[in-house]
Amino acid sequence: MNVIECNQLSKAYGKFDALNLLSFRIEENKITGLIGRNGAGKTTLLKIIAGYLKKSSGELRVFSEDPFNNLKLSANTIFVDDDMNFPPALTIRQLLQAAGTFYQNWDMDLALRLFDYFEFNPNQKHDNLSKGKRSTFNMIVGLAARCPITIFDEPTTGMDAAVRKDFYRALLKDYLAHPRTIILSSHLLNEMVEILEDILLIKNGEKYFQMSIADVKEFAIGISGQKQIVNEWITGKEILYKKSYTLGNTYVVVRNDLSEAELESAKRKGLEISPVAADDLCIYLTGDTKGGIDDVFDRG
Amino acid sequence: MILHGDGAKPIYIQIKEWLETEILSGKIKADQKIYSQYQLAEMYNINPATAAKGLNILAEETILYKKRGLGMFVSNEAREIILMKRKNTTLKNLVRDLVGEAKRLEVSEPALIEMIKIANSEEENK
Repeated sequence: MNVIECNQLSKAYGKFDALNLLSFRIEENKITGLIGRNGAGKTTLLKIIAGYLKKSSGELRVFSEDPFNNLKLSANTIFVDDDMNFPPALTIRQLLQAAGTFYQNWDMDLALRLFDYFEFNPNQKHDNLSKGKRSTFNMIVGLAARCPITIFDEPTTGMDAAVRKDFYRALLKDYLAHPRTIILSSHLLNEMVEILEDILLIKNGEKYFQMSIADVKEFAIGISGQKQIVNEWITGKEILYKKSYTLGNTYVVVRNDLSEAELESAKRKGLEISPVAADDLCIYLTGDTKGGIDDVFDRG
Repeated sequence: MILHGDGAKPIYIQIKEWLETEILSGKIKADQKIYSQYQLAEMYNINPATAAKGLNILAEETILYKKRGLGMFVSNEAREIILMKRKNTTLKNLVRDLVGEAKRLEVSEPALIEMIKIANSEEENK
């Protein structure tokens, strides 16, 4: 069953198109990673799904309903980001209590266990938490709410490496025990790639692809070796990325639609074949310009 | 087993190979229940769909069989299939790589065979 159906969705801020004719579906109880460069439209999309923003045109259905101004959906959706607003008068311990009255599936026991584990002071105010602590607190609320639609927008901002690891582990464990539809956005794909089932990659407000994580990892292949041999071998193939190294070596990323025979021929010619990591691939695919940062400094 | 992230083999292949090794070593025997996708997800911190992919390949290769509502079990011929497969593909590829490297290092065929013999007797004397 699809819990999110999105057809030709667009969102404009004045003359700027943040989202442009975006169409995709998200199935129930899958963990999807929303990936894209800064400014690709990730947050805009998530806020429309969560009902915080109004779309400009197109169709968006969450549990078959329009999420904007929809009280029923807002009780079943949680959107976690850096700017979560909480009443400033309450302590963080009181905030947990308040969240429990709003979210039907709220697990107070889990919230308190995480609260203790991450060593929160119950009398502190949300505004006074450090950046990393605030992200951690918001994450606790996001997990304990157990909403059928759980959205994390850049959840690990400010968290240190250990807390980040704990967060993804906690998310996975709670998901295994209580499956639900989860969308995670991050530009750090690497840290969360293993817990995802699908990836939705957007570029300049448009969908680039949506596929399973296994397919993403097999989408492309890296070829490296002597420049001349590489160039000969890649003629007629779709090149996704290319980088020259010293001593006449080249690394090229191509679509992995190659036959066994082609791969064998590459190996026999002394070319090295390597898989392309999912996060590298996403960077290559969403690059606006051919080439990379080196070209900026390369003034000939 | 420690899973290797990007760069190495796909995770579902690593899961599948780890399960094969568990079966080969006799830790999980014929007609015993194998770990579920959720157990594997929890053990290795991966999405259960990834674990399921590894399990399903083993089922396709008839190393595992499904019992409806009960999960997956190790088949009677599992060990045999894994042994054959490892000999015919894994070992063959290793030998191919070995021969290739020997050639690059200008090690002659008799010298390479001699090296294999030495390694073999060392292994047997362990």
